[in-house]
Amino acid sequence: MTFVKRYLIPRLVQYVLVIWLGITFVFLIPRVTPNDPVMRMIDQMQARGSTLEPGTMDEIIRDLTEMYGLEGSWLDQYWAFWGRLLRGDFGVSFFQFPTRVNKLIFTAMPWTLGLLLTTTAITWTLGNIIGGLAGYYSRKGWSRVLDAVAMIVRPLPYYIFAFMLLLIFAYVVRWFPITGGAPLGAIPTFTWPFIKSVIWHSTLPAVSLMVLGGAVTFQTMKLLVQNINAENFVQYAKLGGVKEGRIVGKYIIRNALLPQITGLALGLGQIFSGALITEIVYGYPGLGMLLYRAIVNGDYNLIMGIVIFSIFGITTAILLVDLTYPLFDPRVRYT
Amino acid sequence: MNETILRTEGLKTFYILDVFGTQKIVKAVNDVNLNIRTNEVYGIAGESGCGKTTLLKALAAAIEPPLRLVDGYIFYYVDGKAVDVATLSPEAKRKLRLDYIAYVPQGSMSALNPVIKLKETYQDFISSHVSGKTKEETIQLAEQHITELGLPPKILDSYPHQLSGGMRQRVTIALAALLKPSIIIADEPTTALDVVVQRGVVQLLMDIQKRLKNTIILVTHDMGVQANIADRVGIMYAGKIVEESTTEKIYGVPQHPYTKFLIDSLPQFGDKSTRQSVPGSPPSLIDLPSGCAFHPRCPHAMGICTEQTPDLITLDTDHKVACWLVGGEHGKTA
Repeated sequence: MTFVKRYLIPRLVQYVLVIWLGITFVFLIPRVTPNDPVMRMIDQMQARGSTLEPGTMDEIIRDLTEMYGLEGSWLDQYWAFWGRLLRGDFGVSFFQFPTRVNKLIFTAMPWTLGLLLTTTAITWTLGNIIGGLAGYYSRKGWSRVLDAVAMIVRPLPYYIFAFMLLLIFAYVVRWFPITGGAPLGAIPTFTWPFIKSVIWHSTLPAVSLMVLGGAVTFQTMKLLVQNINAENFVQYAKLGGVKEGRIVGKYIIRNALLPQITGLALGLGQIFSGALITEIVYGYPGLGMLLYRAIVNGDYNLIMGIVIFSIFGITTAILLVDLTYPLFDPRVRYT
Repeated sequence: MNETILRTEGLKTFYILDVFGTQKIVKAVNDVNLNIRTNEVYGIAGESGCGKTTLLKALAAAIEPPLRLVDGYIFYYVDGKAVDVATLSPEAKRKLRLDYIAYVPQGSMSALNPVIKLKETYQDFISSHVSGKTKEETIQLAEQHITELGLPPKILDSYPHQLSGGMRQRVTIALAALLKPSIIIADEPTTALDVVVQRGVVQLLMDIQKRLKNTIILVTHDMGVQANIADRVGIMYAGKIVEESTTEKIYGVPQHPYTKFLIDSLPQFGDKSTRQSVPGSPPSLIDLPSGCAFHPRCPHAMGICTEQTPDLITLDTDHKVACWLVGGEHGKTA
């Protein structure tokens, strides 16, 4: 009970507070920037060559102002904003007018989730296993070779590495497609040919993310294991003749994974903001690309929609880490 | 006289370090001959950084790089037969640990796995040596063992961080005694504990020794603890044993100036004069002074001390010393 009263409730209050603050900032920031979406829309219409009569113009302005939730004082707007938000309504997009923001986000979401969940899971698992082994056998030749490879790969700027892969495997040898998440015009279905083509399209983006991300996980895990291997309790277990397999699993890996679990949860929380550079380089239709286009076009509603998802993702991930961490580390107890 | 249980012959274990391409050699244990017997408490004393812990690692057959066995032998007397430890396979060494030779770590602050309960640590230690026991049986065995040693069995359900430092140290001592080993090696078991807890820890060690009639090799720089529980004491300086004798003789008629300094630093009842410490500090084991390594700190240093290293010579039964002051009277080769 003390756990609920002294830890859980304050932590949940904090969670709600952080989300509220974040969303309030999301509301405020576009309104203090000198970028009027309504006028931009009108400009764009006029640039396309449509001439508007002053009466129609006023009407359009009024309609747009209402649609963007820009009616009345900031306080009125703020109330209306929360009202719509709680109903799960982010309004209509500006640059893909009049598609609803929800629809855009939910079209992009599966692409991003599919790509990033898979790569994060594979990267984390493989990076930790290989890094752990390399750390335990740090005096062996293969461990040094892997370490050297990771040392070379890790400092490569991601965009250069991603471009290199694209250039070599999509342009020079043409094993993989240059751009897109699926063939143009293909309708998403749960059929093997479609899934196969999705995997084929996402191979390069996935590899680029996994190689660089894996190098980081590998190096961190290797260092963690090397340090823990030198800890007193590991040396003591060895001097007590505890079997090697048990020392590696229960004494070294178990302790080394603690910070890695935190890292994994935070990484998963960041998935909702997409992987911008990956998506730009490979023309991948995910959330990062969507956010980028929303920012370039000053599409407030869309920016807000994506950022709010991202705020939820990250704060929830942190909350989950905080609540489950005592299960992994008994030294962190909330009593 | 009791039989030999552990013997070293010209033991040299050095740390060989590669520092930016240049090799550095730390002569942590340099030509040590020990003959440790059954049913005795053998104390090893000396300042920090004189090779005590390294000697223990070698005795526990835990020589791992960068530490290397450069020369000499370590013999275990398992069931009366001498076994050259260096020739054993890793698995054979693992089996001897805890069963034949058990280790009590220095400062048990971090000697226990922080994320598992003590009963799991117990289980890991037991099941690595005793096969064919169920989980319940091993826990029962652990409980029985803990109770026999006068510790509360409920500590098995605790995590290490929930226990006091003294309790943790007692748990590691209890673990060491688990399989009734012939030798228990204790590395500074009382360091970092207050004197009241120290007494309990020392008492536990002594109780175990009385019950098992085994050998305890006790390393501590605390000359007071040595005086109370050791049967024989070896004084270590710069990787060498410089004096070795029964506790009575070491404290009664110390021969080496270094031993005298160590004993003079002990507080005594009724004596209110300021305690003297050894002047200077221990030498670097990378760059040892010529001749006798103690000569820069020795008030009686003579010409020969800076040139030649004195051998460990036998004065009379059970009293050995390596010092030119003594060697002069008895002859170098005595």
